[in-house]
Amino acid sequence: MSTRINIGPVHPSTHGVLRLVVDVDGDTVKNVEPHIGFLHRGVEKLVETRMYMQCPPYMEKLDYVAPLSYDEAYVATVEAALGIEVKERAQYVRLIELELQRIASHLFFLGALCNDMGQMFTMFMWVFEDRDRVLELLQEATGQRMFYVNMRLGGVTMDLPPDFGENCMKLLSHLEKRIGEYQRYLEKNPVFMERTKGIGVLSAEDAKSLGVAGPVLRASGISYDVRKAKPYYVYEKLNFHVAVEHGCDNFARYRIRIMELRESIRLIRDALKKMPDGDALGASIKLIGPPAKNKIVTVSRELPRGECMMYMVSDPQRPYRLSIRSPCFVNLAALNHIAKGERLADLFSIMGSLDLVMACVDR
Amino acid sequence: MKGQGYDYLVKITAVDYGKSLQAVYFLRNIAENKDETLEIDLEYNDAWLPTAMDIFPAADWYERELMEMFGVAIKNRIAKRILLEKWDGIDPPFRKSFEWDKDYRTGVE
Amino acid sequence: MIDNIIFSIVSTWQGWLNGSSLLFYGIAILIYAIFILIVTSIFAYIFGWVERKLIAKIQHRHGPTFVGKFGILQNLADLVKLLSKEHITPDNADRILLTIGPILMLAVTTFMVLLLPFSPTLQATNLGLGLLLIFVLIAFLPIIVFLAGFSTGNKFADISAQRSVLMLISYEIPLLVVVAAIALLSGTYSISGIVSAQAASHWYILLMPIGFVVFFITMLAEMERPPFDLREADSELIAGWLTDYSGPYYALALFIDYTRMFLASLIIALLFFGGWSGPLLPPLAWLLIKAFIIALFTIIIRATTVRMRIDRILRLGWTWLLPLSLLNLILVYILFVA
Repeated sequence: MSTRINIGPVHPSTHGVLRLVVDVDGDTVKNVEPHIGFLHRGVEKLVETRMYMQCPPYMEKLDYVAPLSYDEAYVATVEAALGIEVKERAQYVRLIELELQRIASHLFFLGALCNDMGQMFTMFMWVFEDRDRVLELLQEATGQRMFYVNMRLGGVTMDLPPDFGENCMKLLSHLEKRIGEYQRYLEKNPVFMERTKGIGVLSAEDAKSLGVAGPVLRASGISYDVRKAKPYYVYEKLNFHVAVEHGCDNFARYRIRIMELRESIRLIRDALKKMPDGDALGASIKLIGPPAKNKIVTVSRELPRGECMMYMVSDPQRPYRLSIRSPCFVNLAALNHIAKGERLADLFSIMGSLDLVMACVDR
Repeated sequence: MKGQGYDYLVKITAVDYGKSLQAVYFLRNIAENKDETLEIDLEYNDAWLPTAMDIFPAADWYERELMEMFGVAIKNRIAKRILLEKWDGIDPPFRKSFEWDKDYRTGVE
Repeated sequence: MIDNIIFSIVSTWQGWLNGSSLLFYGIAILIYAIFILIVTSIFAYIFGWVERKLIAKIQHRHGPTFVGKFGILQNLADLVKLLSKEHITPDNADRILLTIGPILMLAVTTFMVLLLPFSPTLQATNLGLGLLLIFVLIAFLPIIVFLAGFSTGNKFADISAQRSVLMLISYEIPLLVVVAAIALLSGTYSISGIVSAQAASHWYILLMPIGFVVFFITMLAEMERPPFDLREADSELIAGWLTDYSGPYYALALFIDYTRMFLASLIIALLFFGGWSGPLLPPLAWLLIKAFIIALFTIIIRATTVRMRIDRILRLGWTWLLPLSLLNLILVYILFVA
C-alpha cells in the first residue's frame, strides 16, 4: 500500500519553497517528484533587458547563501566577452573573497544538515556564530554584509582594508579550531554516524550520468573541480587539493564539505602570503567599449554548491542571451534517484546533504 | 559522443537568434578533462529535438526547460507537468518574440 | 511543612469519613489532586522556562529576555497567545476523537502523577500494585497518540500515529523487564515500598546501572524526548500528530509535554534515586530537586543529538535494550536475591 504525501511548498526543511510529492510505502520512499518553479523569476530573460553592469545584483540574488560567487561568475563572463584582463592583485582579492564565501556557505551547510536530521538548531546556531564572523570580515572588505556587488570589470570595487590580512589570519585559525571541534562532535556521535553512513548512495556512474555537480559529484569519487580542471585566476599558483571521497553517501557529502573548508583555509592563507601590492580597483562602467555582436563565451566557475557554467551571447549594449547552469538544479534533479528506497526521514537528510538553494534551482 | 568518453552532460540550452533557433549541448569528458559543445540549428516555427534521455539521464529537466521556455518539442516525450513555468497559448517566454514589459493578461504594453 | 498540613487535613477528613459519608473522602482527594496539579503546573512551567534558557545557552544565544525578568513570563505569554487563537477542525477529521485526544492524554498523565507518592505521608493512596498500574497506564499514551493522530485525517499525523505504535512495541518490553527487576530487588510492587527499600540498602542506580541505562533510554522514548521524538519530528512530519491542532489544543499539548516530562523524571527519581530520601530538606523538596536534575539531563540530550530513525529504534529496542534488560534481571537475581 502506498500513500502519496505532499510536502511543501511551506515546510520546515525544504530550504525555501520546494514542493515534493512523495509516494511512501509505510516509511519507505517509493518515488519523489520535486515540483519547482515557485521562485522562478526569469533572470535569464531579465538580464536581456539590462545593461551589462546592471546585472550583478540580479545574479547575487540567485544564491543568497553565497552571493559573491555568482556575482564573480557573471562579471568574469562579461570580462571574457570584452577581453579584459583582471589585474593581478585583484585576482588575489577576488580569490580570497570567493574562498571566504565558500567557507560561509559550507558552514551554513553543516548547520542545515543537522537541522534536517532533527537536531534542535544547536549546530545551526554554532555555525551561524562562525559564519557571522566570516560575513563581518567580508563586510570589512566589501562594505556590504549580504549582497556584496563587489566585482567590477578588471578588478574589484574596494581593495582590501590594510588590517585585513591580520584579521583574516586570526579568523582562519579560529575557524580551523572550530571545524575540528565540529568534526569531533559530529563524528563521535553514533546517532549522526548512523544517520549518514550508507544513506543516500549515489554511485560514480550514476553521478556522472545524472550530471550532478560540485561536492555531490566529488563525494561519489569523481575528482572534478573547475578550480583544478580549468584553473582561473591564480588557483594554479596556489597550493590546494581537490577533496574527493569515495563513500558516495551522505557521510561522504558531509565529509567533502569539511575537507573543502580546510582547503579553503589553506588557499586563503597561501593567497594572503603571495598577494602582491598594487592596484586592484576595477574600471568604471562607462570606460568599457562594447563587445562584438554575437560573440559567444562560456565561463565555468566552481561555486560552493558546484559548477556553474555561464553561457553568454553578447550584444553591444546588453547580454543577448545568458544561460546559467545552476548546480542546485542538477542536484535536485538527481534527488529522486538518490532517495528512492530510502526511509522518509532520510529523504530530508539527503536533501540537506545536496545543499540546495531554491533561488538557484529556479533562477 | 558517449563512445569517446564524453559521459557527462553539463547543460542543454538554446538561443533565439531572431530568425533561427539554436540548441546547444555541453558535453564533458571528465577523465581527460575535455569539453565539447554541440550546436544544433532548429526550425524556428516547428522546433523539435530528439530526446537525449536514454544516453544522458541528466537531460531530463533540461529538456523540459527547453519545452517550456523555448517551445521546443522533444520527440517521444510528453511533459507530464509544468517544471518551471508555463505560459499557455502565448509565446514561450525565453524567445525574443516574448516582450518582457508587456502585460500578457491585459494586453497592455 | 506543606505535606504535613495537607496530611493533617486529609487525616481529619478521613476521621470524619469513618463516621460520615464518602463525600468527605471525595473532597479530600479532590483537594489533594488540586494541590498536585498546582505542583505539576509549577514544575512544568519552570521546566519549560529552564529548558528554553538552557538550550539557548548551549546554542550561544540569550533565549527569552523580553517578557518578565529573564523572560520568565515568556511561556505565559505564549499560553495567552495560543489560548486567544481559534481552533480549526479539518473537514475530514473525526471531531470527537480530535477533541478528546489531548484531554484524555492530560487526564491519563495527571492521573499517573496523582498515583505517585510524593513523600511518606503525601500520597493519595498506597497501592500495593502501584508500580504495575503506572506502567500499564504509561502504555496508554502511545495509543492515545495513535487515536489522535488518526482522527485528524492528516497524512503526517497518520505516519506519526503509525510510528508511535511501532515505538511502543520496541521499548515497552525492555521497560517492563527492568520494572520486573526492580520489583524483584525490592520485593514489592508498591512505589513507596520501593523507596523505603532503597533507603534501607542503596539507591538502585548503584545496584543496577545497566537497568538504569535501559530504563532511562526507554523513558526518553516514552516521553517523546529527542533523540526519540519521532512522533513530532519537525523536520519531516512538521509536527507529527499535532499538525492539525491549533490554538488552545496546541497549548494543551505543550503542557502535556512538560507534564509527561515531570512524570518521567519523578518515576526515575523514585525508582532509582531513592525518591524523597535526603538530609535537611523536607521529602517533597528532595523529590522535586532530584526530578528536576534528571529533567535537566534530558534537556542537554535534546539540544545536542540528531534524531534517530524508526527502524533504528526498533533495532535498538530488540537487539540492545531487550538483551540488556534481561541481563540486568539475571544479574539482579544472582547478586542480590539468590
